[in-house]
Amino acid sequence: MAKRLISNRTNKKMFKMTPWLFLLPSILILGTFLIYPILQAFHWSVLDYKLISGTGEFVGLENFKELFTDKAFWNALLNTLLFLLIVLPLNIFLPMVLAVLVNQKLRGVTTFRVLYYLPFVTPMVVGALMWKMLYSQNGMISDFLVKLGIFDSPTNLLVQQGTALVAVAVITVWKGLGYYMIIYLAGLQSLPKGVYESAEIDGASTFQQFRKITVPMLVPSITLVSILTIIAGMKVFDEIAIATGGGPAGATTTLVIYIYNKFMSLDVSIASAAGLVLLILAIIASLLQMKLTSKREDDLRA
Amino acid sequence: MQVNQLSKRIWIYALMLLVAVTTVGPFLLTLFISLKSPGEGIYDGFLPANPSLINFVEAFERANFGSYFINTIIVSAIAIPLNLFFCSLAAYPLARMEFKGRSFALVLIISTMMVPFQLFMAPLFQLAGELGLHNTHVGLVIMQVSTAFGIFLMRQAFLRIPKELEESAYLDGANKFQVWYKVALPLVKPTLITLAIFTFMETWGDYLWPLINTTDSSMYTLSIGLAQLSQNFDGANLKLVSAGSILTVIPTLLIFIWLQKYFISGVTEGSVKG
Repeated sequence: MAKRLISNRTNKKMFKMTPWLFLLPSILILGTFLIYPILQAFHWSVLDYKLISGTGEFVGLENFKELFTDKAFWNALLNTLLFLLIVLPLNIFLPMVLAVLVNQKLRGVTTFRVLYYLPFVTPMVVGALMWKMLYSQNGMISDFLVKLGIFDSPTNLLVQQGTALVAVAVITVWKGLGYYMIIYLAGLQSLPKGVYESAEIDGASTFQQFRKITVPMLVPSITLVSILTIIAGMKVFDEIAIATGGGPAGATTTLVIYIYNKFMSLDVSIASAAGLVLLILAIIASLLQMKLTSKREDDLRA
Repeated sequence: MQVNQLSKRIWIYALMLLVAVTTVGPFLLTLFISLKSPGEGIYDGFLPANPSLINFVEAFERANFGSYFINTIIVSAIAIPLNLFFCSLAAYPLARMEFKGRSFALVLIISTMMVPFQLFMAPLFQLAGELGLHNTHVGLVIMQVSTAFGIFLMRQAFLRIPKELEESAYLDGANKFQVWYKVALPLVKPTLITLAIFTFMETWGDYLWPLINTTDSSMYTLSIGLAQLSQNFDGANLKLVSAGSILTVIPTLLIFIWLQKYFISGVTEGSVKG
């Protein structure tokens, strides 16, 4: 009996190694190519790091001082927030409407769903290039806007200071439509059917049903879509880099593009400091959003 | 009432059609531009007057798309099996074993998903240089051979397996690795396929890291080759860019049509908060 207990104990000890053996390859890979560079970025943000010589001296908070006195940084921060302000309502609303549409029991609905997923499965570089052609001065969008009488002469929205950010945001929203629609569809399919039936009996119109039943009951999905949009929206790079390159005159230079430009001019310490600001924003945004929406859910319940 | 229902239906179809035009329109426009013959202006008319495949031939002959294709395929072929293997391996104890440090490891891995790539791309670039990974296929996939997202996704899948199945295998004398390989993995096959698709999309369309890590044009992937080609964004070159875009997007569309349901379950599983 005693012997068995001991062997059991050693057995248990040996077992503790096993989970780490499972984890080992991923720990090595993520540790080397993810965690280590992240920690290094933290470190570089307080150095004047030179990429070429591979050395840097401790400068304290100098990089952050330089960052916070750089007008281009504030412009980039503002553009990131503006970009989110444009994308967020569109991402919350449009895919929701789409989900409600394709959730109907109608013929051909599955085909429409597939057509709505297409942008999502398209590499962003391709999506951005296609839209860049659509936006071009002789392209369809410009033609359309002239015909509508919005512009007198052919105009490329991507090169206008006032419209470039919105024009790029449209590409982001277009690409995400199918993705967020799937999230809303999952939410819709978990809703109880009975509510709609009794609303119908009470004579509620389609619009009223949407506003009074669908939207409030989809709050968990709205939360999820918002968080995903904010976190992804802050990191948007491809479509901006391809469609405008951050221009015209910095009008689409978001924080991410700012960091990229700093990196390309080898100011890696400033880039790291700006990267930390981006990280902090991402953390704050998700915490804040979770808090706000959980409160709204409580209000609904009360 | 009947008329009301009918008009409601017409409205729904009209709306759905309008949206479909915006989601599919850009593809059609690009396809039609890519089919236009040399003499034709790219914005003269929507449809090509004399459809021709010359731009696709040119894409391979003049613009090196053959080599971009091969590079992108190699990169995906390295990333997909490794990511599936390492993620399903790491996720298993996080879902199924009790051990000290488990919650720490889990929280650490999941919280890295929030970290923007742009924060650490410069240190990663330097590290890749030190390890001789600039301008190599392996260097292009280091961010995709084991991913926090993949571990998270696989863990969710393992959590759903009934414990009894594994327990009976233990009674038969199997060890943890055997149970993982023979019992658990076959049960999460759909999630493995989902992860394979997402890894494919990630590597096939990856742009920023290849842009930084690749300077040698013989190592360009499709995204980079396409972006470089589009630096000259006018006239005849746009037909080539269009042909290249279509070539780049065809494999992803085919895989999507083939494995559609896994795409969709991937979105819902991957986005639900842990």
